[in-house]
Amino acid sequence: MTRVGVIGLGTMGRQHMDAYRQMLDVEVAAVYDHHPDRAQAFAQEYGVRVAGRLSELLDQCEVVDICTPTYRHAEYALPAIEAGKAVVCEKPLARTLEDCERIVEAVKKHNTPFMPAHVLRFFPEYRTAHQLVKSGAVGVVAAVRMRRGGDFPRTKSDWYADFNKSGGVILDLIIHDLDWLLWTLGTVERVYAKALTFRNLEHLDYTLVTLKFKNGAVGHIEGTWCDPGGFKVNFEICGDSGMLEYDSTRQVALQMATRAEDGAGGGVQVPESPAVQNPYYLELRHFIECVQTGQTPEITVEDGYNAVRLALAAIESAQTGRVVAL
Amino acid sequence: MKVKVGIMSFAHLHADSYAHCLKANPNAELVGIADHDPARAQAKAQQFETQAFDSYESLLASDVQAVIICSENVHHARLAQMAAAAGKHILCEKPLMTKLDDGKAMLAAAQGASVHLFTAFPCRFSPAFQQMKRTVESGAIGELLALRGTNRGSNPGGWFNDPELAGGGAMIDHTVHVADLMRLLTGQEIAEVYAETGNNMFHGAFDDTAMLTMTLQNGIFATLDSSWSRPKTFPTWGDVTLAAIGTRGIIEMDMFAQHLIHYDDRAGRIKQVFWGDNIDYLMVDEFVRIVAGAERQILATGEDGYKAAAVAIAGYESVRRGEPVGTTSI
Repeated sequence: MTRVGVIGLGTMGRQHMDAYRQMLDVEVAAVYDHHPDRAQAFAQEYGVRVAGRLSELLDQCEVVDICTPTYRHAEYALPAIEAGKAVVCEKPLARTLEDCERIVEAVKKHNTPFMPAHVLRFFPEYRTAHQLVKSGAVGVVAAVRMRRGGDFPRTKSDWYADFNKSGGVILDLIIHDLDWLLWTLGTVERVYAKALTFRNLEHLDYTLVTLKFKNGAVGHIEGTWCDPGGFKVNFEICGDSGMLEYDSTRQVALQMATRAEDGAGGGVQVPESPAVQNPYYLELRHFIECVQTGQTPEITVEDGYNAVRLALAAIESAQTGRVVAL
Repeated sequence: MKVKVGIMSFAHLHADSYAHCLKANPNAELVGIADHDPARAQAKAQQFETQAFDSYESLLASDVQAVIICSENVHHARLAQMAAAAGKHILCEKPLMTKLDDGKAMLAAAQGASVHLFTAFPCRFSPAFQQMKRTVESGAIGELLALRGTNRGSNPGGWFNDPELAGGGAMIDHTVHVADLMRLLTGQEIAEVYAETGNNMFHGAFDDTAMLTMTLQNGIFATLDSSWSRPKTFPTWGDVTLAAIGTRGIIEMDMFAQHLIHYDDRAGRIKQVFWGDNIDYLMVDEFVRIVAGAERQILATGEDGYKAAAVAIAGYESVRRGEPVGTTSI
């Protein structure tokens, strides 16, 4: 039995908890949240033990899963790594490059299993696209466009709205696409970006990022927390012998529309992509199996570092108006 | 009285469409065709049941009132100045010019001869774009913050792949339409341009991939993908899309979304069959009406063509310098 401790019991903590509950060889031994009330409610709902302190949680598990807001990742990851725990940490690896460096150093020093949770790599549409590009399905890649976003994410503490905590739409949201691009196309030479992040518009953030890859390809990412039309993603990979495209608004396996009870409209449309296992399960299952077998997780701490470094370069470009070389 | 129009050169493939538009227009007469390739002039004259002139000079010496110029980009300036000197009104294919000095000379020539100089920007006439413009102007999406555009296509090949004749590759071919729409939508000039280009599609000595980032005078930022990135099996020639992001919402236009999908077993491929309005016809029709004395409404002026082409020219300068460049500093 692999014992897991989950830290940070918001949306992502729940998502991960649901995944662990399906694994017969995993026990969530303890959970921790710096809001004691939220921890208690969570523990009651899932029937798990609350750790009053971090050290108490570390005593009860081999695997630590960090689902806190970005700016607190290092604060929990470092002691867990130093205690020799296997750590899976939500993306982005950390809010600052200094924190990322500390985590990379700690992982190297203590030689513990570590995985930044870039879950996009486990979304079947993105995984299939990665495999196809790698297999040469579109030939030499020339141009890539990716789009991600919807309306502004709202939480009780509203930490997404605090740039110093979340890093805005570039560090929090399109880091998914940045990691996928680094994974699929390799080294980025330079980045140029525009963003609303520094305009101090309440609950609006938007970015358009251009990347030049070492292999000559040009990439474009749109990240939005400005679109009231709901969360959407799409991508398009053009190469010298073909193109792959995906659009979450078009490739919809199940679409439901319901009428309000009184028949007066105000209905809700919910598109879904049902699957036997969701990407969060696949991601965490991969990490648990790596911990159990001693294999190296397919997303390394360096991958986490590189994604943050690229995101911060894009932020720097948006802030200064200059091209940022990597 | 029909407006007499001639076509100077069929080097650009849009000439065929404009010739069809003139033939279909009850107020216009396609009087003749001249081309530096006499065989092409003969063939097109036969196809469109009109006269082939043996030189541009002889076409301009006839009683045509107006000309449409569809030469290789680099020859626009020379042909436009010839037409202006002959007192003919001009509709010039885009990009208006490949060098700023050429554009200035064209504008001066038209002004000096008191003839109209217009730029062939049919996308302005798209009902979807016109409705988008009205919607943005109504304030429905709040204050405008950012724009995202694409004008992707397939590589037209031929002289389009010779920067000596085209003035560049994909970026000069496909930047101007959407740059023009962005100016028209916002009423703002494009102040700064940063561009990345690549040639991984065709590996030639020309850019086939181009991504521009633009900052407008009032701080609105925008990107535009003008790559020839549509694969050979793509169901149509390309696209024109424009999204506007505002404080209260967004509006996204896909100009050629009004199509059927034709799964064509005989052709062995899937095709899009467009059923929306013919924007080339709407543009040529306004040109004909203006030559007949009507006021300009939507048709892009020479100045509009100059401003849009200057964006692409600034894009190439940005690629050379590796940094954003001001459109007035090149």
